[in-house]
Amino acid sequence: MGRNRLFVVAAVAAVLVGGGLIAALVLTNNGSSNPPATAPAGVSEVATMLRNIPQQGAALGSPKAPVTLVEFADPQCPYCGDWEKTSLATIVDKYVRTGKVRIVFNGMTFVGGDSETALRAALAAGEQNRFWNVLALLYQNQGTENTGWVTDALLQGIGNSIPGLDTKRMFAAVQSATVTKKLAAAAAFARDAGVNSTPTFAVGKTNEALTIVKISSLQPSGLEPALDAALRE
Amino acid sequence: MTDRGLRVAVVVLSTVGAGVAAYLTYTHVTGTSLACATGGCEIVQHSKYSELAGIPVAALGLAAYVAIAATAASRSDLVRAAGAAMALGGFAFGAYLIYVQVALIDALCQWCLTSDGVLTLLVPVTLLRLRAKP
Repeated sequence: MGRNRLFVVAAVAAVLVGGGLIAALVLTNNGSSNPPATAPAGVSEVATMLRNIPQQGAALGSPKAPVTLVEFADPQCPYCGDWEKTSLATIVDKYVRTGKVRIVFNGMTFVGGDSETALRAALAAGEQNRFWNVLALLYQNQGTENTGWVTDALLQGIGNSIPGLDTKRMFAAVQSATVTKKLAAAAAFARDAGVNSTPTFAVGKTNEALTIVKISSLQPSGLEPALDAALRE
Repeated sequence: MTDRGLRVAVVVLSTVGAGVAAYLTYTHVTGTSLACATGGCEIVQHSKYSELAGIPVAALGLAAYVAIAATAASRSDLVRAAGAAMALGGFAFGAYLIYVQVALIDALCQWCLTSDGVLTLLVPVTLLRLRAKP
């Protein structure tokens, strides 16, 4: 075979091999059934914060942790976003990763429509124990209240970035009766606890009565005294 | 360079690539954590883009490196063309995977990049083999 023909054969085969692989990967991951994906910010920070920490639905940390912290928050409330971005990682490293505290997120939707969309997605991901990954990434990408910023594309991008999350299954569960029930239960719990602003925190021994904590700031130091006190009890 | 020299280069580069791909396949299948200076290896390794129809992409890479190494054993036109085609195709696929890491997953995997580097060197080597007199 002549040299030129050899190059042509190799080039054609290369296009078939490379193009085929790329097409296969694109089609299996971005098929027409998936909405377009927006790449979210903060993926590595969130992955690092949550790495190897067990989750059960909306609870983060070991179920055997002696102290439980309940966070009452709305995915759209800017202060909740500040708390998540500036303090959560510290609290997680110091108290959750060490098995001392588990955090339960009690989601609220008083800000408006995007709150419910966001919370439904997180609760749906909670069925695959990825609630906190979705929630934290939503806070990292928080938009202006009720502008429709919780788009399917953002949720798809968030889903793509989370190891072990079946995004299709998450989307399928978003409007499910189970998720609706969890939303209602969280709203009722917040009402019964008398929560009227967010973020509000309640601390107590796991599976015992919780006390609402007045926090002095949204820094980790605003909450740490209450956690330390509960751990000493 | 003589074909003999190029064949040695093909074997050496493919062996390095196969080593990296074998490590990535092993950690992917067993779920063990991997040494990672770039910090994003596990995100990349557990992303949806790390498998193609249930086969780890790293395992495809391993198979390709073994096949490319095997082409060094022969001087036939078709085998040399196959080596160049696999190196070029793998290079294109690797380039797409870099795009996936940067634009879609937002994490970089140093081992994947090492493999891309090896492919970048294998492309000219296998192409030169097409030119060299057998």
